[in-house]
Amino acid sequence: MSFILDIFRFDQATDEEPHRDQVECHIPPTMTVLDALESVKAETDGSITFRRSCRSAICGSCAMNINGTTGLACKTRVDSVLRSDNTVAVDPMPNFQPMKDLVVHMDPFWDKYTRLKPYLQPADKDSDHALERRVSPEDMHKLVAVANCVMCATCYALCPVVSVDPAFAGPAAIAYAYRFIEDVRDSKRKERAAQISEDYLWLCAHCYACSYCPKHVDPQDDIIAVKRATIEEGLIDHPGPRHALVIAKTIKATGMLHETEVIQGTVGRFNIKGLIKVAPFGLRLAMAGKIPPMFLKPVPKVNEIKMIFDTLEAPVLA
Amino acid sequence: MTATLEAPQTKRKSKSAQMRKYGFFPGCVAKESCKELFNSTMLLADKLGIELVELTAAACCGASVLNDTNRDVARVLNARTYAQAEALGLDDVITICSTCTGHMRASNKELLESTDHMGQANAILGKFGAKYNGGVTVRHLLWLLIDDIGLDELRKMVVNPLNGLKVAPFYGCHIIRPESVNGWESSRNPHSLEDIIEALGGEAIDYAGKTRCCGFHVQLEKDGIAPAMVGQNMRMAKDKGAEAVLTPCPLCHLALDGYQADSAARWGRTDLPTFHLPQLVGLALGIDASTLGLNKHIVSPGLVLQAHDLAPAHVA
Repeated sequence: MSFILDIFRFDQATDEEPHRDQVECHIPPTMTVLDALESVKAETDGSITFRRSCRSAICGSCAMNINGTTGLACKTRVDSVLRSDNTVAVDPMPNFQPMKDLVVHMDPFWDKYTRLKPYLQPADKDSDHALERRVSPEDMHKLVAVANCVMCATCYALCPVVSVDPAFAGPAAIAYAYRFIEDVRDSKRKERAAQISEDYLWLCAHCYACSYCPKHVDPQDDIIAVKRATIEEGLIDHPGPRHALVIAKTIKATGMLHETEVIQGTVGRFNIKGLIKVAPFGLRLAMAGKIPPMFLKPVPKVNEIKMIFDTLEAPVLA
Repeated sequence: MTATLEAPQTKRKSKSAQMRKYGFFPGCVAKESCKELFNSTMLLADKLGIELVELTAAACCGASVLNDTNRDVARVLNARTYAQAEALGLDDVITICSTCTGHMRASNKELLESTDHMGQANAILGKFGAKYNGGVTVRHLLWLLIDDIGLDELRKMVVNPLNGLKVAPFYGCHIIRPESVNGWESSRNPHSLEDIIEALGGEAIDYAGKTRCCGFHVQLEKDGIAPAMVGQNMRMAKDKGAEAVLTPCPLCHLALDGYQADSAARWGRTDLPTFHLPQLVGLALGIDASTLGLNKHIVSPGLVLQAHDLAPAHVA
């Protein structure tokens, strides 16, 4: 039994355009896509280039696109992805510049990570902790999932926001911001929250594409936690936090997300320039007869909703 | 990379499905800017012979944003909604918005999996005499159509087949991801919308954008992001020959319908009319086209519908 590896080929040093090679592979399909690549590299074409090291989903080197979706080649069995035409297509990760074959330029990903100062910055001196810095199991528990991140960049490659705006920090960097923001030993919570806000934390589109994390870090929940931390730190003069807080405000007042008030509250009622920018979309809606109400009648028993907000001390836009 | 799915929660017929009477959570957008979605849903329910009992006192699901402000408030608000459904003897809460589906299912999962969360919610609900017993399942109208009505039955009910109309499905993130919350079908390779389109006599277009994000949730955050995401996806659909788009989510509808004009500069004109799920199903099932709100679209579906002899000119 054999199958075909359909491989993206490109060398930035010599090629103007990429091309594809179809290479027959003879390993059992119960083995992994990485095994298949290593087999064809050894037996058919030694020039096929890809990153790999540990072969066991620990080093994070071999992330690539497999049949159009990103994952670790060492963690993906051939038979789980084999297409009906007996092929498996392998491509470099999207959202990165290809360098050679399946190898991409990782620099933008690492840049966003290093900007976070990804190391502990305690308030006190190491000498104050001659033996160790103690963290309670409860505090450590919050960091266990993110500690599994191997920086394979699968989430970054899958992120639709990165694909249209490379300025966005991306899921992994925000997960690392969370890792230090929630670390009780760290002293730079506010600075870190401000830094990640500047790197477009609030541009996350809540799409859960990062839920395909091969290490189950699921950065989405960390992103939400970092957003809460920025609000707790008072960093709310920004469309993102204003948007969340004005939605909370309208739900508390009426039970519903009041669209017209949310738009004004997010952009800023007196931000004429901002309101002019969103005007064409609003006008288009209005022309089509989609006119959201200016005033909303509260839902029945809205006092129960108010009570829920008050009991939980949930913040709303002032 | 194949998805491992949880056993679908809907295999066992719910009490609501047996009674053909469901709790109904329309969501805010269907009550505000997309009233045509609410209206066409009610008309479709009539046609299908099911009763949707609107939970009129329910609060917003949290819109995937409330969690950014407070960890608990959306969950407790949703517990209150489920308690209202239970009080009416209904065990299914039907949604017509992908974001409502995902957010409400996530809340329900947290409540059912943690006695702390359930206890916290009921402690607050108790103050006004309400209690959630954990008996509710949140389902989207799309799932109801397939599980409770059935594709065969739907096929039989078609009186106005789509005559090969080429329709690109657009799922919206929160009805498929994360799979740990939704899990009704594979989030990598969903096909429920395709099945519906084909049952109605249309042709489903396959394109990579169908499971990607529309950008709605960040439309106010930074200029041009949502239009770029819309343009990228609609370009793929158009290049595969799509004539229209079908979505189970009014937020996707707003972004796709509203931003194709802005994305044209970078991605070329696409001009794909975007149908709400009950509009297209209703049309095929013979609901009077002039009542489905087809004239409430920015990209008019008029030409496409006329080309396939599906509706007279004046309705869109």
